[in-house]
Amino acid sequence: MIDTAPKPAQANASTPAAALKMAARGLDFHYGDIQALRGVDLDVAERQVTALIGPSGCGKSTLLRVFNRIYAIYPGQVASGQVLLDGENILDPGYSLNRLRSKVGMVFQKPVPFPMSIYENVAYAIRHYERLSRVDMDDRVEQALRQGALWDEVKDKLKRSALGLSGGQQQRLCIARAVALNPEVILLDEPTSALDPIATGRIEQLIAELKEHFTIVIVTHNMQQAARCSDHTAFMYLGELVEFGATTQIFTNPARKQTEDYITGRFG
Amino acid sequence: MNPSQHIVKSYDEELQRLTGEIVGMGELARRQLIAAIAAVENRDNEAARKVPDDDDLIDQLEQDVSRDVVQLLVVRSPMARDLREVVAALRIASDYERIGDYAANIAKRALVLNESPLVKPVRILPRLAQVAGELLTEVTAAYRDRDADRALAAWHQDEHLDALYTGLFRELLTYMMEDPRTITPCTHLLFMAKNVERIGDHATNIAENVYFIVHGQMIPADRRKADTSASINPELPAAD
Repeated sequence: MIDTAPKPAQANASTPAAALKMAARGLDFHYGDIQALRGVDLDVAERQVTALIGPSGCGKSTLLRVFNRIYAIYPGQVASGQVLLDGENILDPGYSLNRLRSKVGMVFQKPVPFPMSIYENVAYAIRHYERLSRVDMDDRVEQALRQGALWDEVKDKLKRSALGLSGGQQQRLCIARAVALNPEVILLDEPTSALDPIATGRIEQLIAELKEHFTIVIVTHNMQQAARCSDHTAFMYLGELVEFGATTQIFTNPARKQTEDYITGRFG
Repeated sequence: MNPSQHIVKSYDEELQRLTGEIVGMGELARRQLIAAIAAVENRDNEAARKVPDDDDLIDQLEQDVSRDVVQLLVVRSPMARDLREVVAALRIASDYERIGDYAANIAKRALVLNESPLVKPVRILPRLAQVAGELLTEVTAAYRDRDADRALAAWHQDEHLDALYTGLFRELLTYMMEDPRTITPCTHLLFMAKNVERIGDHATNIAENVYFIVHGQMIPADRRKADTSASINPELPAAD
């Protein structure tokens, strides 16, 4: 009888069915003397949502920051190992930051609109990479604001300051700004932690729409949000990837006790 | 029960309360079965009338469980094992509630059966009920201790109950063919036996839910059905 008891699911057992877009391979990261990531291996499936969860200080935001090398502006922060984007190692010094940032966009916890008009917030980012005619720029801005699910709310006040928008609108503007560059991957670092439930719902709906075109990696402290929005979930602890699998599996029957303790609120 | 405690203590208390309510339902349901069968054995109408009244207690507990489950879902948004606990609690409570109904049905039929002269096959019913009662004891204990192995053992035991039921079914058919005057009491007995057999099925559901709580998946193997009464035809020679 006992032989019918199921064997524990293997961690890392779930290989995403979709094509591999990004991957961390043996990734280490140091803030000076402090090691924040330890040998992380992670697959990010194309046009799917991958959620990174774990307690504060577990390295999930650090991992996100390595994915677009934003850490490079700070001295003493060093990543080693590999982060592959379409098979190319973006940590390679030969991989230009400009090229990387055009492919990998990022949205932060607190909405950070530029102190300029709504229109200019989006156009400014595009101008950095492309020279467009006025008409083409108008189209691109409209397209981006539509993709950011903000167009209907701002189309009559494009010249007004973005700082006058609500928090939720500002965050959608930031997403529109990221989307405007036609990136391939969008990194979201706790994008709704400063928003009310209605604004949060809008962002989550937006994530569901955006994943048709973009690969999304989201860091969140909200378990329900990870469960609702993502296809794959990675649980990190003390700089290590503890468990990675299909979101449904992680939230209904995780293989590792540490994962179970964290998502059920038993973390001591 | 669970390896470690929640950071929020009242969450543990709520889950423990749920467990207590369900274990209480299990004990009540088993006692109801015993009382109903005793009423049949002793041809005791007074005892038979009491069983359906006491069924209200089980129904009340099931409502308490439903209310607590909804509350837990709203307030705690349970995840992983906690989620399985809460979902299984709802299912198990509904199984016990049905078991209580079957016990009440048996008791109601006892009142009718007592109107007719005693028929011999009555003596098999307590044997059947004894196996069902043991099954209930086992699954309730398996739930209380979250013991998947014990649940699995009980789950396999239901096969024995099914076989006993099929035997009783054959015996009653023979009896009725030999003496058509026994058709009325034997038909009532047949329904009572079917009720006991169904109690066994609900007990296996409970065992499956205990296994699900512990392992996060359903019991893998397919159990052989030993209740073959659906294919018995008295006009044909017995298949075995």
